Amino acid sequence: MSEVEPALAPSGRAPDHAEMAVRARRSGVWFYAETVLRGMRAFALPIALYAVAQPLLYMIALGVGLGALVDRGVGSVAGVDYLVFVAPALLVSTVVMSVSAEMTFPVMSGFKWNRLYYGPVASPLEPSQVALGHFTAVMLRFLAQGFVFWLVMLAFGAAPAGWAQSFLVVPIGMLAAAGFGAPLQAYAATLDDGFQFSLIQRFVVMPMFLFSGTFFPLSAMPGYLHWIGWISPVWHGTELARWASYGASVGLPMAAVHLLFLLTLAALGLRWSVRTYTRRLRS
Amino acid sequence: MGTGIPLLASLSSGNVRAVVERNARVIRNQNWILLVSGFVEPVLYLLAMGLGMGALVGAVEGPRGAPIEYAAYIAPALLATSAMNGAIYDSTWNVFFKLRLSKLYQAMLQTSLGPLDVALGEILMALFRGLLYALGFLGVLTVLGLVTSWWAVLMVPAALLVAFGFAAFGMAVTSYLTTFQQMDLINFALLPMFLFSATLYPIEIYPEWIQWLIMAMPLWHGVELMRQLSVGHFDASTWVHVLYFVGMTVLGLALTTLRLRRLFLR
Repeated sequence: MSEVEPALAPSGRAPDHAEMAVRARRSGVWFYAETVLRGMRAFALPIALYAVAQPLLYMIALGVGLGALVDRGVGSVAGVDYLVFVAPALLVSTVVMSVSAEMTFPVMSGFKWNRLYYGPVASPLEPSQVALGHFTAVMLRFLAQGFVFWLVMLAFGAAPAGWAQSFLVVPIGMLAAAGFGAPLQAYAATLDDGFQFSLIQRFVVMPMFLFSGTFFPLSAMPGYLHWIGWISPVWHGTELARWASYGASVGLPMAAVHLLFLLTLAALGLRWSVRTYTRRLRS
Repeated sequence: MGTGIPLLASLSSGNVRAVVERNARVIRNQNWILLVSGFVEPVLYLLAMGLGMGALVGAVEGPRGAPIEYAAYIAPALLATSAMNGAIYDSTWNVFFKLRLSKLYQAMLQTSLGPLDVALGEILMALFRGLLYALGFLGVLTVLGLVTSWWAVLMVPAALLVAFGFAAFGMAVTSYLTTFQQMDLINFALLPMFLFSATLYPIEIYPEWIQWLIMAMPLWHGVELMRQLSVGHFDASTWVHVLYFVGMTVLGLALTTLRLRRLFLR
């Protein structure tokens, strides 16, 4: 009984204000992440449906359906069945596409519409904790979504590298989502109007989805389009995920490049986010 | 002022123009780049899948049974899909916002406008966008050398027909939805339709019962209709596809009008 009991508020049901403030300062990122995740519960049904049905639909339609055409055409792609080739890429690109929805309007409404960000900042939470907390919550969601996708891949026999190695597609998918989501969050935090999001969807997200070697190797396109893949988080994530799921030869130096590219994007994006959130919430 | 048809007198004042004019003014004051650039999406799909996938797939069987280039195979399907997407976007999110948040329809129905005017006005706007995109896309196809028949010109009215069906029906469905969460379920109906409706590959690879399921969906009829028009090959099924959308339009319009009347003119 040597431990000191925390001081309680007069009601006796909650810790004292000062004690709460200390906790908020210490773990504010998690506090805010929890808030965002609880907010997502309103959308629990669509989110769950999406997490399960989206991989199923894509695997059946593109892996099996389009795969049948590829079998009749060139036979196999990069030495494997089309289903095996396309599955890890679909994981990465669907997760990155979903993150682009999660990091646009919800971020802007935190500042603009429902102004949910302002409450926590009136408490001992720092703007940086709000920014990182939002990011953390979104990443946790896509960690879960990637996990479900991986299970679907296993069920389709689309991850021949075995479950121990192919499990890595889950963190890889999340890393790709971070590489795109963090800069997007930072950009969304600077905006006051939503129409840019439609332009981003149309001129950034869609081309990234279509030209990042998801459905066919980059080399199947003319050379002057390859750069779209090189600057695209989807391509870097996909290359890593292909190694994880079926042992595509990537090579250590290239693997390092892919990893570094995604980590750098995520780090720069987060830094920019923290600065923007601080500026807007403290002004 | 009535419409002249007694049955419609309570539903319409015959002043659809007012609703269309209001929407046209909004477009003029908003970001027109957003509106105009809408046709870029199917073009991107066409370039990526047509060029990239085409290299892996080679030629596929066209509506006549003769082999055609993969890009020429998916192009009409992408036009049908973009007609669907455009119409659904305009008649769901746009309508939801005006119905539940800005209460625009409530205001409109306080005037002499009837529910049929409002419904038709909104749908005509969706069709205008559809027309722009169809013309843009057809232009791109022509430049890429994927148009081989004069019949392809009919893909423009066909795109409008497809859009009309989806817009009328989408607005009816939207009138039943009350929260954003339910709106998400609309995307949930569109994705499988896009992926399975013979857009990117023939449906024959599936067991027969799945094929019947796909053939019950509207997008498949749109895709097949466009594909037949793209090469100028018609048979009895062409009429089935056309009638499907005519029926969908009539049903959707009737449902939307009745719903708007129920919601506002109690």
